[in-house]
Amino acid sequence: MRGEPVPKRQQRPGENLPWKPRKALETLHAASLASRSPRLGPEALACSREVSVVSFAIVSEVSVEFSGVSKRFGARTALAAVSGRLEPRRVLIVAGPNGAGKSTLLNIIAGVLRPSRGAVAYERDGEVLPRPRWFECLGMAAPDMAVYEELSALENLRFFARVRGVRRSADELRDLLDRLGLPAREHGRATGTYSSGMRQRVKLAQAVLHEPPVLLLDEPSSNLDEAGHRLVAELVAAFRTKAAVAVATNDPREVTWGDARVELAL
Amino acid sequence: MRASSLLSECLAVLSKDLTAELRSRVALNAVGLFGLTTLIAVAYQIGPYRIQEQDRPFLLAALLWIILFFAATSGLSRTFVKEEDAHTAKTLRLAARPLAVFGGKLLFNLILLAALFVFIVPLYCALMGYAVAGVPGLVAVLAAGVCGLAGTSTLVAAIIARASGSNTLFAILSVPLVLPLLVMLIQGTRAAAGAPDFAVVLPALRGIVSLTGVTVVTSIFLFPVVWHD
Repeated sequence: MRGEPVPKRQQRPGENLPWKPRKALETLHAASLASRSPRLGPEALACSREVSVVSFAIVSEVSVEFSGVSKRFGARTALAAVSGRLEPRRVLIVAGPNGAGKSTLLNIIAGVLRPSRGAVAYERDGEVLPRPRWFECLGMAAPDMAVYEELSALENLRFFARVRGVRRSADELRDLLDRLGLPAREHGRATGTYSSGMRQRVKLAQAVLHEPPVLLLDEPSSNLDEAGHRLVAELVAAFRTKAAVAVATNDPREVTWGDARVELAL
Repeated sequence: MRASSLLSECLAVLSKDLTAELRSRVALNAVGLFGLTTLIAVAYQIGPYRIQEQDRPFLLAALLWIILFFAATSGLSRTFVKEEDAHTAKTLRLAARPLAVFGGKLLFNLILLAALFVFIVPLYCALMGYAVAGVPGLVAVLAAGVCGLAGTSTLVAAIIARASGSNTLFAILSVPLVLPLLVMLIQGTRAAAGAPDFAVVLPALRGIVSLTGVTVVTSIFLFPVVWHD
């Protein structure tokens, strides 16, 4: 097979990402390619490994439906009868001016805020999940979330991996931080001494480290530079191949990532 | 499906809290300084000789627990208040099971209180001339007190964390829960100081253990609601 031209594969979203595949997926992906195209030789498979998008191993697909969701804070109505659906392999954009309730909607979808009216339902393989189990399926990064300032980026990720019950080696965690643009020399420094952009990268890392089937990102590029913005775009592209993604944003560039859109008004 | 047990998740929360506390020392300093200041003030004004002999067993036991309780109050609420203030509560809420958070915070408060007791009690005995006849009995009462105070204060801390003026609220909510516990702790301490026989502290110990058990079991059922709503 050596020397034979490698058949050109159809490009998939986010294919040229700097994300390295994990071993099991590498094998799975290579095996699936081989079964689909017996003509592909080792070179082709090796090539597919190098460019493989999928650095995560989401096992099940989860969809989230929210219907007639309203939220009142005292006399003020933050959300009024909003409905929509997050589906696997689709990106839902939640847009609207400041104060329109984008973060409130994401918090309600995440289950950290109860709606005044309406309902949110998580469904996995036809089974409706009870609220305490939503958190197993979720990864979220938002401006009102923080990581522990006294701990380093690596210690933070190790902690979140442990409480989420996922096993990640120090190398895997370092690799994740590297891929999110946090240089290795910063991994051991307390995050309290980080710039806001570096902290945002650690927040994104804790949101994706357990490879959630539902990813909620609220203003994901806030505090990030242009390279960081591109990285978030790549992250969303990588997750949209398997997961249901919702992005709350006002950034016109981020709005274009969506397959569906919920427009909130003041 | 999670690959870890609830215990390992509790230990992860505990380890994170201990690491953060050892680096910032906020709760340790608050509890330690409050305890030491109160102890020195009491020792300076009252000392070992200004109490009538017949009042000593009652007053010294009561003073010891007043110092320990108020010093503990100044630091125990921080476990949850700090999470809310630093905006890490939401991150933790989305990542950890409620019982893992409760277990980890309870263990952290136990360790913090145990450290306070180890620091304050010998100093108190030395400065106040407090002779304890039944040391094993006193140790048992103190250990039960650590568990009781930590159990009560962990749930109250979770309840008040999202409220403004949470330190005041912590004291107000804690008092009705802690008062019966404190009465039994003072009785147990007085009994241990007066007689070497361990049996004399058993009635107080039974009461403290029962109350602590009820509080912790109730907390286990209540905490998920408090934490998520």
